[in-house]
Amino acid sequence: MTPESSGAAERSGLAARQAELVAALIAGGAAPPGFDAARLDAARRALVRKRADEAAKAWPLLAASCGADWQRAFAAHRAGHEPVGALRDGWDVARALHRRGELNSGAAAELAERESAFRYDGQGAPHPRRGVRFRRSVAKLLARR
Amino acid sequence: MAETAAPLPAGVGIGWRPEIAGWVAGRIAPAFCEVIAESIAPAATPRGVVELRERGIPVVPHGVRLSLGSTEPVEDRRVAHLAACAAALQAPLVSEHVAFVRAGGREVGHLLPVPRTREALNVLTGNIRRTQAELDVPLALEPIAALFDWPDDEYTEPDFLTALLERTGAVLLLDVANVYANAVNRGQDPEAVLDRFPLERVAYVHVAGGAEHPDDPGLYHDTHTHPVPSAVLGLVELLVERTAAAPPIMLERDGRYPPAAELEAELDAIAVAAGHLAVVR
Repeated sequence: MTPESSGAAERSGLAARQAELVAALIAGGAAPPGFDAARLDAARRALVRKRADEAAKAWPLLAASCGADWQRAFAAHRAGHEPVGALRDGWDVARALHRRGELNSGAAAELAERESAFRYDGQGAPHPRRGVRFRRSVAKLLARR
Repeated sequence: MAETAAPLPAGVGIGWRPEIAGWVAGRIAPAFCEVIAESIAPAATPRGVVELRERGIPVVPHGVRLSLGSTEPVEDRRVAHLAACAAALQAPLVSEHVAFVRAGGREVGHLLPVPRTREALNVLTGNIRRTQAELDVPLALEPIAALFDWPDDEYTEPDFLTALLERTGAVLLLDVANVYANAVNRGQDPEAVLDRFPLERVAYVHVAGGAEHPDDPGLYHDTHTHPVPSAVLGLVELLVERTAAAPPIMLERDGRYPPAAELEAELDAIAVAAGHLAVVR
């Protein structure tokens, strides 16, 4: 084995282990062997808290409606699910709480406004609804005059 | 080949964020600022950042998503973006982390530690050299705060950093709060660890707040959303004693912004600890 191919093998081993670690931290994967499981748990929870803080910026009324319980509510719905960005992370939480009738009027209005402006299938990026795009382009044209 | 230490002015700076742009513009005179590279478009820099440049304040693009520690080669478009930010801001240097943020097609949304092994050193060296080849300014590397280590570490963190800087000629962005966090969480003495870092390579310094979380007693989290603990300011004092001239130093605050008076008091405390002039107007 040449030094180059040995280096490549080492790196592919490292690549697999990095992927395994990432899966354990954000996608509900098993902890890779040899790591301190309690520390990985702490890191996993810290990552979810950071996502909750970011989602709160994108969904201020939703976060406010949960008050001090926001971090827990977010973790209950999103821990173990891969991060999909603050907008979608918060959207998924908002829909789950809405289904259970747990949104206050402000948070419900925030969700309703976004549901009417975007088409979001819960899987991919939300897309502006056609009518909204049309109204926006008309508004831009009018503003140019 | 060693790059010359960064030409940033001595003094206290702050990480520019949109949420505090009004305060930075109106209330303080930072020696320099940093902006998250991935948060700006070089062709349409935020007005607050343009105004900093008009005031003659250097702005350093700080990358968070290059993922220099990933086994895949660093992506050309990410390096090009960092270089374009440096050009647009006429930055004296840029910075990134000794970390990886994606693997196996997944984005973590946070900085993760690499194993401190010879293999990881090779991976990092390759990606750092690829990045440096596209930059006209020095690259500063920042060791991260991590809540865990890899089981196969072969180097201590200061030795790993020293080897990496020797191989790449990069300068050091030393985050004193990260040194504190890692030492506490590894059961080490922060002052002894700080002493073993290659302090002669420091280009500039970060400080940030953190705290324990009720779910993890005894574990220190480098949150950037809490006040800077006095123990971290104590480490800043020690660092300044160890360096020939007090290095440029800046506060990173990334959320849960307190009232302006609290942030100003924090900047004043950093200035005192580092022996710099106050930045509050």
